[in-house]
Amino acid sequence: MRRSPVPYLLIAPATAVLLVVVLYPFGYNVVISFSNMSMRHLRDWSWIGLGQYRKVFADPVFYGLLAKTALWTAVNLFFHVSFGIGLAVLLNRNLKGRAVFRTLLILPWAVPQYITALTWRGLFHPEFGDVNLILTRWLHLPPVNWLKTLGGSFTACAVTNIWLGVPFMMIVALGGLQSIPRQLWEAADVDGASAWRKFSHVTLPLLKPVLIPAVVLGTIWTFNNLNVVWLVSNGGEPADRMHILVSYVYRSAFYLYRYGYAAALSMVIFLILLVLGVTFLRRTRAEASGTV
Amino acid sequence: MRRRFHDLLCYAALGASALVAIYPVLRVIGVSLRPGDQLLSTSLRIIPRGATLGSYRSLLFEMPFPRWMLNSTLVAAAVTLVGVSLASAAGYAFSRYRFRGRHSGLVGLLITQMFPVTMLLLPLYVMLSRLGLVNTFAGLIVAYTATALPFCVWQMKGFYDTIPTSLEEAAGLDGCTGPAAYFKVILPLTLPGLAVTSLFTFMTAWSEYLVAAQVIHDQDLFTLPLGLRGFQSNMTTEWGLYAAGSVIVSVPAILVFLAASRWLISGLTLGSVKG
Amino acid sequence: MWRRLSGRVRGASIACLGASFLVAGCAKKERSDLSVWHQMEGEGKRVLQEQIDRFEAEHPGWEVTQLYKETEELRTHFQTAAVAGSGPDLVYGPADQVGPFDAMGLILPLEEFFAEEELADWAEGGLVYHRGHLYQIGDRVGNHLALVYNRALVSDPPEDTGALIRLGKRLARDEDGDGRPDRYALVWNYSEPFFFIPFLSGFGGWVMDEDARPTLDTPEMEAALRFSVDLKDRYRICPLDADRETADALFKSGAAAMIINGPWAWGGYTRAGVDYGVARIPRIEETGLWPAPMISTKGYSINVAVKGERLARVLELLRFLTSTRVQLEFTRVLHTAPARKSAREASVVADDPLLRQSLHQLEVGRPMPIAPEMRAVWDAMKPNYQAVMAGAKSPAEAARDMQALAERKIAELNE
Repeated sequence: MRRSPVPYLLIAPATAVLLVVVLYPFGYNVVISFSNMSMRHLRDWSWIGLGQYRKVFADPVFYGLLAKTALWTAVNLFFHVSFGIGLAVLLNRNLKGRAVFRTLLILPWAVPQYITALTWRGLFHPEFGDVNLILTRWLHLPPVNWLKTLGGSFTACAVTNIWLGVPFMMIVALGGLQSIPRQLWEAADVDGASAWRKFSHVTLPLLKPVLIPAVVLGTIWTFNNLNVVWLVSNGGEPADRMHILVSYVYRSAFYLYRYGYAAALSMVIFLILLVLGVTFLRRTRAEASGTV
Repeated sequence: MRRRFHDLLCYAALGASALVAIYPVLRVIGVSLRPGDQLLSTSLRIIPRGATLGSYRSLLFEMPFPRWMLNSTLVAAAVTLVGVSLASAAGYAFSRYRFRGRHSGLVGLLITQMFPVTMLLLPLYVMLSRLGLVNTFAGLIVAYTATALPFCVWQMKGFYDTIPTSLEEAAGLDGCTGPAAYFKVILPLTLPGLAVTSLFTFMTAWSEYLVAAQVIHDQDLFTLPLGLRGFQSNMTTEWGLYAAGSVIVSVPAILVFLAASRWLISGLTLGSVKG
Repeated sequence: MWRRLSGRVRGASIACLGASFLVAGCAKKERSDLSVWHQMEGEGKRVLQEQIDRFEAEHPGWEVTQLYKETEELRTHFQTAAVAGSGPDLVYGPADQVGPFDAMGLILPLEEFFAEEELADWAEGGLVYHRGHLYQIGDRVGNHLALVYNRALVSDPPEDTGALIRLGKRLARDEDGDGRPDRYALVWNYSEPFFFIPFLSGFGGWVMDEDARPTLDTPEMEAALRFSVDLKDRYRICPLDADRETADALFKSGAAAMIINGPWAWGGYTRAGVDYGVARIPRIEETGLWPAPMISTKGYSINVAVKGERLARVLELLRFLTSTRVQLEFTRVLHTAPARKSAREASVVADDPLLRQSLHQLEVGRPMPIAPEMRAVWDAMKPNYQAVMAGAKSPAEAARDMQALAERKIAELNE
C-alpha cells in the first residue's frame, strides 16, 4: 500500500490524548522510581539508581502481597469465567422470558462501582449487614465477623468483585455461544454425546477465541483493581493486611509519602503483568490462528 | 418430560442468580426509602415500615443535586462524543491500513491497561496543571477519554476487521464514494461496535471519582460522584441521601446499558474474535 | 487538502473541533477569588459559609470560595495540588497535618506576618509551631473526647471506673435471652486508636516521648488494653463490636447509656433529640489518674504558592476567619472552645453549660503530638488495637507488635 498520511492523521488525536494522560505520567513514574522522592525529599529528590527496587524486593511484605494478589486474581477469575459461561449456557436455551433474566443479570455491571462496593461493604457489616442477618435469622448459622478478619475481609472483597465481574464474562460468552451454529450440537446429539461431552468438545473449543481476550483483560483488571479492595476493606482493614499490590501502592504514596518506593512497586507490578501477558498471548497465538 | 424438568432447573438457577444480582440494588433502594430514624436498622424488609420519599425530596430540592446531574451529563456526553470519534478514527486506521508503528501501536494499547492507575494520579495532575486544565471540565474530559480509549480502539478495530473491504470497493464501483460510502454502507454495520464504545466511555465518565475529586475545586463543577461523596463525612454518613442519590445516579447508567444491550452481545464478541 | 481526506477523517475532525469548542466554553479562567479547603462538616460548614458571606460583604469585589473534603482526602488532595504549584490559598485542618506539610515544603511560615501583641491573644496550644516556625493559626482548640451521657438513663455520670462498672451492671439488661445485654452502659468507636488514648493515659501511658520516639510497648499500654477488652468481655457493659456509626446509632437510640465521643458529634445528638450531658471520662480506679484525651488545635495554614498582592489578601482573610467574633460564632453553634483568650472570656462561653463541661474535660487533656512520626504511630496502633478488641491478639502481644511496627514505619518515613 502506498505511504499515505491518512492513517497517521486518523490516529493522531487518539495518540495525542494518550500521550498527555498516559505516557507522560508513565514516564514520570519511571523516573521517580529511580529517585528518593518521599516526605523529606519531595521537591529536591535525586537519582538513587536501583535503591527503591532493592527495597521492594528486600521487604518481606512484597512477597506476601504478591501471593495475596495472585490468589485474589485466581479466585476471581475462576468464578467470573465459570459463572459467566454457566449463565450464558442457561440463557442460550430457548426459555421464555430469558430477556428479563438477561436484563436483571446485567445490573451489577450497570450500577456504578463506587455505589455497589460501598453497598456490599454495608451488606457485610457484622451487626447491621444483610449477610449476617440472613445467616442468623433464616439459616440459623453463626454470624461471621466479616470485615475484621483477613479471611472474612478477603471473602467480602472477592464476593463483591465476582458479583461485579460476572456480567461481562456472561455477555462475552453469550455472544460466543450465539455464533456457534446449532447444527454442531445437533450432530453431537446424533452421535449420542452426553451434555458434558457436548460442552467440552463442541462448546468450549469454539468459545476459546472469544473468551481469551476477555480473560486476559479480566485478569489485568482484577490484578489492578484498587476501587473494590480499597472501598470494601476500608483501606486495608483489618490491620492493614487486606491489601493487594495496587492498594499498597496507593497507601505508600498518599499516606506514607513514599513516592519513590510506590513508583518502583508500580513498575514491578507492571513488569509482572507484561511478562505474564506476553507469554500467555504468545502461547495462545501458537495454538489458535488469530491475527493481529 | 426430561426437557421440562431440565427447563425447570434452568429457571431455578437463573432465578437464584438474578436474585443475587439484584439484591444489593434492592437494598440501596430500601435504604433510600427509610425514614430518618431507621437508617441503621436490622430489618431485612426491602420496603421499610413507614417508607418515605423524604430523602429524595431533600436531595432534589435542598441539595445542588440537579446541578451535579447536569455537570455529569455534560462531561459524560462530551467524553462519549470525543471518545467514540477518536476510537473509530483510530480503529479504522489500524484495521484498513498497514503503516509503520501499527503493530507496536496495537500492542501499546494493550500494555496501557497493565499499569496500575494509582501512581498516575500525581503526574496527571501536574500535567493538567501545566496545561491549565485543573478545575475544568476539559481536564476531566481529557483524562476520561484517555482511560476508555485503549479498550475502545481495540473494539472498533475488531469491528472494522469483520467488514470486508470489498464492500467499500463495491460501493465505490456504484459511484458511492467518500462520506456517502461511509455513512450508507460502513456505519450501519459498525453500530454494535459504536454502541459498545459509547457505553464504555459513558460509564467511565459517569462513575469516576478519584480523578474528579483531585481535579475539581469548585462546588459548582461537582460531578455526581463528588456530590455523593459529600454525604459521607468523617464522623457521620447521611445514608438516606446517599442511597437516594445512588438510585438516581444508577438510573441513567442502567438505561444506557439497556439501550445498548441489543448490540452489546454482538458488539463485544465480534470485536474480540478478530482481536 | 480537505478533499483528499476520506469522509471518515473529515467526520472525525469535525467532531473533534465541535467537541473542543464545547469544552473550551466550559473551561474556567484564571481565578481571582480566594479559596479555602477545610474539613468542617454539617453545622460547621454552614457557619463558615455565613462568615465568608459577611467577609465578602465587607470587601466588595472580593470573592471567596470554600470546599469541604474529608480529612484524609483533604491531606492527599492538598499534597498533590501543592506539589504541582496549585491548590487552595488557605487550608484548614487539624494541627497534625502541619508536620508532614512542613516536611514537604507545602506551607508558608507565618511569624513574619504577625506582630507579637497580636499573637499574644492566643491561648496555650492555639498557635501551632513546628521546627521553630509558626505554621498554623488556630481557631479552635479541643477536638477532645469526653464522656457523653444520656440524662434520661443516667442522672449522675460516674466519677471513676468502679462506679462505671456498677452503673453498667444495673443498666445492662438481657431482654431477649440471647446471652448478650440489650442495653449497654458505654460504647465508643472501637476501630480508631484515637478513642483508646484516654484509657492509655489513664493508666499512665503515652504514645511517644519528647524526641518523637514511640513508647508503645509498656506495662501501662498492656493494662489499658486489657481494661478496654474487659469492659466488653468480662463486665459486659459494652457491645462486642462497634465502629463509629454503630456507636452513634446505639447511643441515639438509647441502646447505650453513654458514649465516648468528641464535640463534632454532639450537635448530631442534639438534633436526634437526646437529652445529654458531658462529663470527664471516669478516673481510672487502679491508678487514680484522670484519662487524658488528646486535644488538638484546628486552624489555617497558607499554601506556599501564595505570594505578593495575593498574599496580602489571603492574610486579611486569615485574620478575619480567626478573629474573636468569628471564633465566638463557631463556639456558639458547635460548643467548641475558641483558641483566643479574649474569646474564652466572653459570656458566650461562660453561659454555655455544655461548653463549661467540655472545658472541664479539656483541662485534663494532653496535646496531640504533631510530629510527622505520629502518623506512623497511628498506623502501627490501629491494626493491633483492632486485633485486641476483636479478640485476635493478647494485650502483651499487641503492645510489642505496635512498638516494632511503629519503629519500622518511622524508619521508612525518614528514608
